Amino acid sequence: MADLAGVNGQREKFRVVGKPNLPGRLSYGIATGIAKYGIDYVVPNMLHAKFLRSPYASARIKSVDTKKARKIPGVVDIITWEDEDIKNLSSGGGFMGPALPFLDNLADQEGAEVGVIVVAEDEDICEEALRQLDVKWEVLPHVVDILEGRKPDAPVIRPSPPPAKGGFGGSGMGGNNNPPKKGNVSYSNVNQGDVEAGFREADHIIEYNVNLPAFSGHIPNPTGSVAWWFDDPYHGEGKSLRIEGTPWGHDQVVGMYRMPAEKVFQECMFVGGRYCDWGIRKSQLITPLLAKRTGRPVRCVNDRYGMYDFNLNQRFIHLKIGIKKNGLIMAIDDFSIADNGGRGSSSFGTTMDQTYGPYFTTRCQNVRQNMDIVDSNRGKMWVSGQHNPMNWDALMVGIYVIAEKLGKDPMDIATLNLHGPTSQTDPDPVPSFEACLKAAKKMMNWKWHGTGARKLSDGRMHGASFRYQQCPRHSVSGYNPKLELRNGVVHMPTKGPVIGNYIMEANIMVVAEELGLEYKDISTELDHHEIFRPWGGGSDGTTASSWALKECANILKKRILEAAIEEADNPPASMGFGFFAKKPAGPSPLKGRKPEDLDLQDGKVVVKADPSIGVPLAQAVKANLFATYSGRPPLALWTHQGKKLDTMNIAMCEVAVDTETGEVEILRFGVVADPGKIMRRTSLESQIDQVMDFTAGCQLYEDFLYDQKTGVKLSTNMFEYKKVGMLDMPRVDLELLETRAGNAAYGSNGISHSLANTHLVIMAIHNAIGKWVDPPATPDKVLKALGKA
Amino acid sequence: MKSFNHTNAKSLAEVKTALGDSKTILIAGGTDLLGTLKDNILPTYPSTVINLKTVPGLDFIKEEGGMLKIGALTRLADIAANPTIKQKYTALAQAAFRVATPHVREMGTIGGNIAQLHRCWYFRKPENRFNCIRKGGNQCFAMTGDNRYHSIFGAVNRCIAVHPSDTAPALIALNAKVVTDRRTIEAENFFDVKKPGNTVLAMDEIIKEIQIPAPPAGAKSAFLKFAIRKSIDFPIVNCAVMVGGDNPRICLNAVAPKPYRATKAEAAIAGKTINEKNAEAAGQAAVADARPLQAARFKVQIAKTLVKRAILATV
Repeated sequence: MADLAGVNGQREKFRVVGKPNLPGRLSYGIATGIAKYGIDYVVPNMLHAKFLRSPYASARIKSVDTKKARKIPGVVDIITWEDEDIKNLSSGGGFMGPALPFLDNLADQEGAEVGVIVVAEDEDICEEALRQLDVKWEVLPHVVDILEGRKPDAPVIRPSPPPAKGGFGGSGMGGNNNPPKKGNVSYSNVNQGDVEAGFREADHIIEYNVNLPAFSGHIPNPTGSVAWWFDDPYHGEGKSLRIEGTPWGHDQVVGMYRMPAEKVFQECMFVGGRYCDWGIRKSQLITPLLAKRTGRPVRCVNDRYGMYDFNLNQRFIHLKIGIKKNGLIMAIDDFSIADNGGRGSSSFGTTMDQTYGPYFTTRCQNVRQNMDIVDSNRGKMWVSGQHNPMNWDALMVGIYVIAEKLGKDPMDIATLNLHGPTSQTDPDPVPSFEACLKAAKKMMNWKWHGTGARKLSDGRMHGASFRYQQCPRHSVSGYNPKLELRNGVVHMPTKGPVIGNYIMEANIMVVAEELGLEYKDISTELDHHEIFRPWGGGSDGTTASSWALKECANILKKRILEAAIEEADNPPASMGFGFFAKKPAGPSPLKGRKPEDLDLQDGKVVVKADPSIGVPLAQAVKANLFATYSGRPPLALWTHQGKKLDTMNIAMCEVAVDTETGEVEILRFGVVADPGKIMRRTSLESQIDQVMDFTAGCQLYEDFLYDQKTGVKLSTNMFEYKKVGMLDMPRVDLELLETRAGNAAYGSNGISHSLANTHLVIMAIHNAIGKWVDPPATPDKVLKALGKA
Repeated sequence: MKSFNHTNAKSLAEVKTALGDSKTILIAGGTDLLGTLKDNILPTYPSTVINLKTVPGLDFIKEEGGMLKIGALTRLADIAANPTIKQKYTALAQAAFRVATPHVREMGTIGGNIAQLHRCWYFRKPENRFNCIRKGGNQCFAMTGDNRYHSIFGAVNRCIAVHPSDTAPALIALNAKVVTDRRTIEAENFFDVKKPGNTVLAMDEIIKEIQIPAPPAGAKSAFLKFAIRKSIDFPIVNCAVMVGGDNPRICLNAVAPKPYRATKAEAAIAGKTINEKNAEAAGQAAVADARPLQAARFKVQIAKTLVKRAILATV
């Protein structure tokens, strides 16, 4: 814990890091609207492309006749899955998931891209051409209700066995000795300890359900790309490719089209909003092929309906926990039925949850997790976020249920069960948790009441709830930054676009901090050809890349101070000649000193013992210098899957339930979070606001609805899929702590999705009315639970 | 969006000349129409769209001859903000204020709001994915599908989609009339369930203005809307009342294919003191004839609560 591995990790005074309201480098463009996103590019002679989308949840194209469509004026190209150009496209791996054909004749969700791509002079012509295709469909059985799909007599929608074990991005099964796939169901069983022995030791056994809703990442700006080929005199033979709109840079394109990276260019550095929707859509990858075939630029963009294709898995969890009289958990039996989604879905929300579940934060070492994973036609499961990581509220609801049974405060039950910092048998309290708890109780004026015990003056019922989580970062990446001092200015080249725009800002802050400069003094260049990319999973990008920049900055600092002495002792020759020659400067006050006598402060090279003696950096060092660093801080404790704890957070909620209408109003959220060290305060506050927005959304409003008969999605628009509006968003009271207990830059960790949750509001509703309502707790469900519908 | 011819009409006469077949359609604010065109959900896509906004003399609010007169092209935002309407025709101001969002209210017109098409996710699925009763098909998909937000008072012409207007129940409660270019229609008789239209208007008939008589002495009106979100959303149930005079008028909407005049509720409150008990009784009476499908049963509870609360809101 704590940043003991690097330089200045224990720094006490901060001038720049943590400072609020420093505008981001891209903020001006975003705020004024001059920022251009990938799909905003309009270039001369540009064509448009659209995919055929399946009207069926599960179907196969038997044949397609394109004659009528080709005759429409303005149609330039129509390409089908049988075309060699499509067959030759390599696809998959990394964030695309397991390798699959780029396009085939099988649709595994309504709205899926299938079979045909039309290229035309404009989008309307594309759409008309798609309507004029004569498609012979074979409609196949579908599953959009995973409880139905799990039944032995359900039609089997995907007979092949699941792929081999995978992790992030893969859909392999966890556990060992899993039963073979049967029908639509694969199995993953993970056990620790002896659950039956734990139940025998227990004084009480409690059973409850936690049902997690499907959740759309819902990127606000539809994805797509614009691409064209051009004659390039600088980068070797053959045309080079320009492509805009592929957010992770052009790595996927490079692989897919087998191009040298230096011949693929991208100007746009803006990604646009997303909440951990890692998926790249076909519209972002197909345009180079279409541009090559037509000889013209091509733009292909999803419409908004098409952006509901990726979602976060629905999951039904039945839990059985054994507890002692005092509430100590002795055994946890988690049986889940999870949505495996369509082809190429990830292990987010299924097997990955079994490794990073919340149970290991407790002292209980008897944990059994059995999961039925059901293939479905509900979409591609490729979003992490609201209940990832990872089924956390399965435990939080348990803590609430225990508290209710024993007539205790759930905060006390949580404290009893949380293990210490170093292991599940560590009896010591976790200092970060203790600090968060103390602050939380004060913030909310916390006075726990039992179920249904408090009526507000307006007749509504009051409820409250609490949950905790780790403040994690997901250590998956190494970093190799570079810093340059060029003509007296420090440059920080960065690969763009950056997912999480403000990671770069945190990096700038650290560099400025370590080099005695101001934030505005650091010159940043986003370049898609750069190597250093500061992103990493779950806030690792902010905190761990900043750690690497800290190391790199100190290497550069050493070189600067050495150069300052060298130039003070042996001034470089005057620049220019004749009339233009610059007069040599007088003797430097740094002359005769040693590098260890110096420091960088306020943009100057100064004498440590007397900082009033100093020379501006640009004057002190004329040489151009650079520093590189490759590495990362120690792995986050997150890699111990909850069995070690450092930085924590707590969230609370108060609701008012109108028992006559079923309407639930969130009166307020309270959050106390300890990310170890705050890097960029404004980003951190915004991220917390965002996850609490999603908390309100997924628990009260957002609903993925399917017509059961046809499998067609009914809520794929902004009316029916109800994101929280500003009038519905409750206030979020926030307090941030800095225990420095993390081990990335200055003892930071991340915040990631750790405050995203599925049951904080649901528990509060139960506290208000004594009834469980599955999220989203829409009025129909609340009234039904109350027996009024 | 498929292309169409667009004409800026200069007069009502010009509009009438152009109208007359199903391939010509009117656009006012366009806040409903443009969505239907982009999603291609109309059974017949128009070849011509006639812009009404360029016809002068249809955007006004005035009191004249003991009556409030509102031009058909008057923006909802203007209605919501008008001091006379807020004070004397309160239900209408409240209803106009609760429509959608500020942006939509700045464009949407009262004529368009009452003439808008119904909401049903089967009807509205893009590219006519479901060829339902209202498009010439022979099935109401909601009847056997997901009907949680559909009618609780049964079907009309085999359709259970609901009328989503917020201003419609307010106009009915206020005893308004709709004046077209050829007749005057009581507001509660204005609505119909057609393929796919929602009004009794002939194909070439144009709404000119709304007329609302001054409320009777002692009468007060109120409007309440129940929706999932506080903005944007169409109602799950809404309710407008005018009570306190001799003839109370209570209208629910989003509970049936047409706005629902709750005559039993009116009888229950007529001549009675406005208090919790009587309002509650009126609420119960309002839903006495409800026959909801299973998933929509919760709307009955909301409807009776809204009637009660709207009545109490007039005090």
